[in-house]
Amino acid sequence: MATEDADIELHLLIDAIYLKYHYDFRRYATASIKRRLTTAMSRFKVGTFSELQSKVLHDPAMFPALLDFLTVPVSEMFRDPSYYRSLREMVVPVLRTYPSLKIWVAGCSTGEEVYSLAILLRETGLLDRSLIYATDINPGVLQKASAGVYEVDRIAGFTEAHRKSGGTTSLSDYYTAAYGRAVFDKSLREHIVFSDHSLATDSVFAEVQFVSCRNVLIYFNRDLQDRAIGLFRDALCRKGFLGIGSKESLRFSAHRDSFIDLVPNDRIFQKQDAL
Amino acid sequence: MSEVSSAVEAEFRGGPRAGAPLPPGPLLGFVVAVAAVAFIALLTYHSLQTRSVAAKRVTHTLQVMDQLETILSLTKDAETGQRGYLLTGEEPYLEPFSDAKVQLPDELHKAYDLVEGDPVQLQRLKNLEQAVKDKLLELDQTIALRQKGETSAALTVVRSDRGKTHMDRIRQLATTMAASERGALTERQDDWQHAEYISSAVTFGGSSLLLLLIGTAAILTSRDYRARRTQVWLRTGQMVFGQRIQGEQRLERLGEHVLTFLGSYLGAKVGALYIAEGAGVFRRFAGYAMAAGSDVLRAGDGLLGQAARDSRPLRVQNVPDNYLPITSALGHGAPREILIAPATADGTVHAMVELGFLRTLHSEDLELLNRISESLGVAIRASKDRTRLEELLEETQRQGEELQTQQEELRVSNEELEVQSRSLKESQAQLESQQAELEQTNSQLEEQAQLLEHQKDELSRSQAVLTERAAELERANQYKSEFLANMSHELRTPLNSSLILAKILADNRAGNLTAEQVKFAQTITAAGNDLLAIINDILDLSKIEAGKVELAPETVTVARILDDLSRTFQPVAQNKSLGFRVELATGAPTQIETDPQRVGQILKNLVSNALKFTEAGEVTVRVFPGTHQTLCFDVKDTGIGISEHQREIIFAAFRQADGSTHRKYGGTGLGLTISRDLARLLGGDISVMSTPGEGSTFTLTLPLVYRANTNAAAVSPLAPAPAIASPPATPRPAPGQTPRSMVEDDADRIQADSRLILIVEDDPSFATILRDLAHELGFQCIIAHTANDALAAVATYRPKAILLDMNLPDYSGLGVLDQLKRNPQMRHIPVHVVSVADYSQEALAMGAVGYAMKPVNRDQLAEALQRLEAKFSPGVRNVLVVEDDERQRESIRQLLQNDDVKITAVRTAADALARLRETTFDCMVMDLNLPDFSGYELLQKMAETDEVSFPPVIVYTGRSLTGDEEQRLRRFSKSIIIKDARSPERLLDEVTLFLHQVESKLPVERQRMLQVARDRDAALEGRRILVVEDDVRNIFALSSLLEPKGAAIEIARNGREALESLTRNPNVDLVLMDIMMPEMDGLTAMREIRKRPDWKKLPIIALTAKAMRDDQEKCLAAGANDYIAKPLDVEKLMSLVRVWMPK
Repeated sequence: MATEDADIELHLLIDAIYLKYHYDFRRYATASIKRRLTTAMSRFKVGTFSELQSKVLHDPAMFPALLDFLTVPVSEMFRDPSYYRSLREMVVPVLRTYPSLKIWVAGCSTGEEVYSLAILLRETGLLDRSLIYATDINPGVLQKASAGVYEVDRIAGFTEAHRKSGGTTSLSDYYTAAYGRAVFDKSLREHIVFSDHSLATDSVFAEVQFVSCRNVLIYFNRDLQDRAIGLFRDALCRKGFLGIGSKESLRFSAHRDSFIDLVPNDRIFQKQDAL
Repeated sequence: MSEVSSAVEAEFRGGPRAGAPLPPGPLLGFVVAVAAVAFIALLTYHSLQTRSVAAKRVTHTLQVMDQLETILSLTKDAETGQRGYLLTGEEPYLEPFSDAKVQLPDELHKAYDLVEGDPVQLQRLKNLEQAVKDKLLELDQTIALRQKGETSAALTVVRSDRGKTHMDRIRQLATTMAASERGALTERQDDWQHAEYISSAVTFGGSSLLLLLIGTAAILTSRDYRARRTQVWLRTGQMVFGQRIQGEQRLERLGEHVLTFLGSYLGAKVGALYIAEGAGVFRRFAGYAMAAGSDVLRAGDGLLGQAARDSRPLRVQNVPDNYLPITSALGHGAPREILIAPATADGTVHAMVELGFLRTLHSEDLELLNRISESLGVAIRASKDRTRLEELLEETQRQGEELQTQQEELRVSNEELEVQSRSLKESQAQLESQQAELEQTNSQLEEQAQLLEHQKDELSRSQAVLTERAAELERANQYKSEFLANMSHELRTPLNSSLILAKILADNRAGNLTAEQVKFAQTITAAGNDLLAIINDILDLSKIEAGKVELAPETVTVARILDDLSRTFQPVAQNKSLGFRVELATGAPTQIETDPQRVGQILKNLVSNALKFTEAGEVTVRVFPGTHQTLCFDVKDTGIGISEHQREIIFAAFRQADGSTHRKYGGTGLGLTISRDLARLLGGDISVMSTPGEGSTFTLTLPLVYRANTNAAAVSPLAPAPAIASPPATPRPAPGQTPRSMVEDDADRIQADSRLILIVEDDPSFATILRDLAHELGFQCIIAHTANDALAAVATYRPKAILLDMNLPDYSGLGVLDQLKRNPQMRHIPVHVVSVADYSQEALAMGAVGYAMKPVNRDQLAEALQRLEAKFSPGVRNVLVVEDDERQRESIRQLLQNDDVKITAVRTAADALARLRETTFDCMVMDLNLPDFSGYELLQKMAETDEVSFPPVIVYTGRSLTGDEEQRLRRFSKSIIIKDARSPERLLDEVTLFLHQVESKLPVERQRMLQVARDRDAALEGRRILVVEDDVRNIFALSSLLEPKGAAIEIARNGREALESLTRNPNVDLVLMDIMMPEMDGLTAMREIRKRPDWKKLPIIALTAKAMRDDQEKCLAAGANDYIAKPLDVEKLMSLVRVWMPK
């Protein structure tokens, strides 16, 4: 009975957030969002979702803090190096044939993946004609991403992953470390547009050749996953590429037939002609 | 099922060639038939044999008789000869005798041959021979005697009757023999008849037997054939059924396939499939021509439930009326028979099939159902299992994702924990040092606190003083106002009396004043009046400032206000020899609700000022309606005018344009200040336009209805409401209806395989011309006058080609073209446009094969028709390759070469143009670096030159392009490929796409845009619109939407470029601003634009992909006048552009 009440409260809280702040978490995977809000409850020292709701409704300043709980900013550079290796081998050669490139990193979080892609493009000589759209719903993490500053003790891991991904240069070429922080090269950022965009409510904004959306769909329910993949399909040009997370799948998506497997192990797909 | 298979197994054990050649039945039949034929043949032979023997015997008898006759005859001849000789003695008489004597032995010998084997006759013949011999002997004797001349002796011998005796004996013997033979003959004839009888009997009997056998064989064969057909039918059914249920099919699809198959193969008119859901519940999951009905059944429920429980097929013959009804659009009926069969696998019922028939069922129908029952059961079980498996897989996937989320979350909290523990440690150290510091500072703090306390006291003291001062000031101000009000009153009382007295003096009623004294008195009056006016003004102003003016709004007619003015000022004007006119503009409201006294005051002030500052010319008061429910009063003079820098000053209290003015024209200078304050109180305002030396125009604007709560200070022009009227939806063609055209066409006499052409043209006379030309060139044609008719006609008649006009009464030809190209069945039909309007680029880009601008001559039309014909006659596709490098050119040719593609490869742009002039190409692949001029120039030339066709262009270049270059190329080519390792693949892909039109050529958005773009919109003609957008797709779409409407489009790819572009082209009328852009985003750009005073009013419409209200508010806050969400709704965007485009 208690869980039933909690579910009702959770539902109301999510609705309240939507109505007040226009962040749509209604189609996120329930189990995960419940866990995260439960964590938030203990942090904000409240006993029920209703109390949390009342707080967040009446104190707009609190919402950004709650948003940090609702989104899960986990990312690292060249995460799953084989994914980047496959991009290098299978996707980049085709991207080379386009006069100008647009790439969409949906759910970019704190930007590690965006910089990884930018470095990869720089290494393959494509960055100068590329534009990367990096989008997320959380303005806080976007700010961090745009700053491009990371803890220096994470850099060792990044370097290792970069090497494994088939990097042809040294990662140290792209950052300057000082005061326990590493700042990534500004010239990378010139080709990146950081922007607030919600896969739950917003629409397609540009035609792109490649969409990378990794470990984002896992937080969505089937409906929202379909919506997001539909957006990717609409944004992609003919024969454009889509990369998703290692635990994610298009197998059950309504748009399965719009894509063919390119590198199944690394979850890289290519849009195919709708006939 | 298993019995059948075992029977089959038994039959074919040892391979197909082993065993009997025929089944036992037919084999026995054949054996009997052979035996019968042999038997009949034998019998027939036998009877023939008998008949032949009988015939021989008859012949023999007749021969014997004949022979006897001969012998007798010869004997008689011999006797005759003897007698003749005996009588005459002449030798010649002996001839018969001699002949007979010679022949008789032969004849006798022959007779012996004939009677051989018959001892009785033989004996008789011997006797006959003896008798003949005796007779001959006697004859010889007589003749010999006669020869010797012993005639009498001879006669004696004759008389002895010996000869007669012999003769008699011969006769008797011959007769006996003949009689014997005749008896034999009768007997033999009987034999013959008997044989004949036997033969007929055998023939009849044999034929009957054969007929019987043939009949039996026919019956057997027919039965066998039928059985075989049934078997084939069943097997084919099983096989087709097997194919239908093959593969991984979802349950619903499987059901659909099964029912469709059963419906067509068995001729069932209605059917349903129920799946077993466990616990004896059956759920319907597929229906064939089914009306809605119950979805769930239980075992034992109804007929189906019964059949399910018994697990065997059930046939129902007298179907109740409402059971499993067959419905169609025209009515419904009940099936004659119902068949219900279970689908079992391993003895379990997995599903139930229910079928309704309008015919009588046969056993094979049941048999087929029986046979497929198991495979259906297996298929359904497999499908169920598969569905379950899919569900499980999906569940697994979900769990995997869930696990991943948990992992990610765990990482986050881990990281957080780490950060926290680190910061905890840090803060602990800090805390320790801080504690020390704290203790130290504590004492300092205490001191400071005391100091602060002190200061705070002082502060609050001075604050109290300040508050008091403020109150004092306010009071003073009020006192001032009150004082002024009182003071002016106090001033007025004595002034009044001095004025009256001065007037009396000036009148000089007593007549005791000199003329000079009278003049003094008049001067006193005038000065006093001036003073009074000044005092009144001051009083008014102070009242207004003190908020003591009370307004009395009422409805007054405008005419009355003007009359008052006229009456008051006409004489004044005449005095100054000035013209004074009042005008009421047509369409101006006749009534206004306001305070007439105050309005009068304002107008009087304005008019008197005008009169005052005008030396010559005229003063005009004009009343006309303003915008937003207001009424305007223009007071126009031809006076000295006001210079620009003085315009603001004139409304300031206690200030005048300049001192000299004051000196020359007098007055307090408060009039305008008061007027404006009053005007604002009334909810309006006063504005001024003036040219020094030429005159001024003061405009009083008043609301038609005064609202008491209108805040005078906040009065500002009302923002125009963004009225977005959604135009009516695009008309859709009604399929199936093909209205007849006004011009007679060939709709009624279309021949199959004719070269049928559709002419879409709204002008009947031109349509007639086109029709006649088409007929002349051997086409048949149908004519449509509207876009809808055209589409309906295409659907109905499927013409080979279309001649299309652009300006159609319902919607544009581009719309028709678009719909045609989007419909897979119509896409291939070539379309040639003939129109007065120039949409050639759009139309060609959308896939028209040609574009002719009206007016056209006959040759051009003929060429258009020929071009169409060339298109619809199947043939090779033409591809033009423009590439300067020999090897590259060859390799592209190799790449694209196939049977259907004809490749023309040229080296230079000039060659390319020449080829394009000659031939229509389906696609063109071009390099940018060409020896004569650049690829870009080539494209430009192609676009400019009318007689050159413009096929879809693929730019294939080794050069990397700058953003600008790409932008410029995009106008002509949607496909740009940079040469690289993977580019051949892409090139082939793109060329194939263009040649076969796999997909419609344009992005859906743009097609929709073009469809709506009907005619040039007057509001946009000649206007400049800056499109700030970095997405090529949208730029293309927006320019192709706005450019045909006559707007000039500037493009900026980010906010910075937008600012530059605005600086360069200050005459931009409207900005369409994307938000998400590189370098400088739309929000920043808008804020920057609004910072510049001269761009403050520039209309900006934000284009945002975000859907939420606050995102849109952000746009507005940044300076956008309006926003529209992506993907762009063409109608809405056009409305917004129209609304915000400055008039």
